[in-house]
Amino acid sequence: MRDTDVLVIGAGPAGCVAAWEAKRHAPQLDVVLLERDRAVGAPVRCAEGVGDAGLREFAEPDGASWVARKITRVIFLAPDDTAVKVAERDVGWILDRTRFDAFLAARAAAAGVTLLVGTEAAGMSRDPDDRWRVQLRGAGGEETWRARVVIGADGVEAMVGRWAGLDTRVPARDMESCAQYVVQGIDFDPDAIYLQFGEQIAPGGYAWLFPKGPGIANVGLGLVALKADGRNARQYLDAWIARRYAGGAKTAYTVGGVIVHTTIKATYTDGVLLAGDAAHMINPLSGGGIVNAMKAGRLAGQTAAAAICAGDTGAARLCAYHAAWMKLLGDDHLRYYRIKRALEEVDDAFFNSLARTVNAIPSEKRTLGRIFTHALIRHPQLIPVAARFFV
Amino acid sequence: MQPAPARSEIAVVDLQVCDRCGLCLPLCPPEAIHLQLTDLVVDRVACTGCRKCIAPCPVGALTMVAA
Repeated sequence: MRDTDVLVIGAGPAGCVAAWEAKRHAPQLDVVLLERDRAVGAPVRCAEGVGDAGLREFAEPDGASWVARKITRVIFLAPDDTAVKVAERDVGWILDRTRFDAFLAARAAAAGVTLLVGTEAAGMSRDPDDRWRVQLRGAGGEETWRARVVIGADGVEAMVGRWAGLDTRVPARDMESCAQYVVQGIDFDPDAIYLQFGEQIAPGGYAWLFPKGPGIANVGLGLVALKADGRNARQYLDAWIARRYAGGAKTAYTVGGVIVHTTIKATYTDGVLLAGDAAHMINPLSGGGIVNAMKAGRLAGQTAAAAICAGDTGAARLCAYHAAWMKLLGDDHLRYYRIKRALEEVDDAFFNSLARTVNAIPSEKRTLGRIFTHALIRHPQLIPVAARFFV
Repeated sequence: MQPAPARSEIAVVDLQVCDRCGLCLPLCPPEAIHLQLTDLVVDRVACTGCRKCIAPCPVGALTMVAA
């Protein structure tokens, strides 16, 4: 039996930042960071795209070893393959998640966090003195740790939330089933990400190509199974690649779930905080979650450290974390979710028509804001969608 | 002991196909699916046969069998 102040479960972006921030906020505290897999950052279950501004709050990407590619353009493909090129100056980056997560974990360890890899949390219960007793399982056998605050950053599985009695279940219509290959030897603009919508391509989601380098890209898609025709995500993806990138070699393969929901009702309880995918903190429109997870991890680490220092880790104090998250991004996600639901009623013909309208705008003036404005003027059926954004 | 719910089928996972991504865990209403160190496990007693985990599996690793 060992004791710690903060136990962070899951060494992805949320957990690594949470552990790092807790230790930075209160260096006298013991902070332990657990990773189930034998290496932080692997396997990669991610398209690895991230926005520039959000990333820079946490790390400097220029010249970093964990960056695969800088992105300066977005190319939307309508269902009929009409391409709409949107140029923005600093769109974002494609990360090398294996290296990026390892970088975040190493930074936490350098600050004094104890990192345990190949170690799984198998269950937890509350002791009479209000500490959480967590059973760990690893190659070396089983052991028990006690912690004042447990931060659940265990991703889509969200077992920490379950053990703590929080509801982390997801309605089927808000789960994107995703599959992705690394494809090599194909032709595309290496400075652009490609997104394609279509009922036959990725019903309820979209297909993507995210460059990792010239000729090499993450090629994947996410769909809502309730809208699919009986094929699974991998079968849809095989069909898309056969149509668009037939000459490529599929050199790696991954699958996973992206929760396009809104933040769970309570991200906290006595001595427990949930951060990142585990708390459904993904942008429900884009499916992006890396920066959100780091922002939530920062709030969770700071809240946990301050609570322990104040000698009060009860739910009444930890609820400040939930409030801070909702103000930072959670309330925005409620609005994005309404847009997502409204867009579910829009069909392929609309997207095809919108693509042609937008292509009439000179390319240098084609920003996302102008696309939105033109969409409203030329396609009045979008107005109810826009209205829901502000309701 | 809990009485077994009325059901004719339950979900099972083909571990040869399963990628251990964990997508099915939060979809399960009775929280009957667990991901252990290497294996995904469906609790045969807790599974209600609702099928909510079947279609979303990206690789088709979950199927229904007679209870």
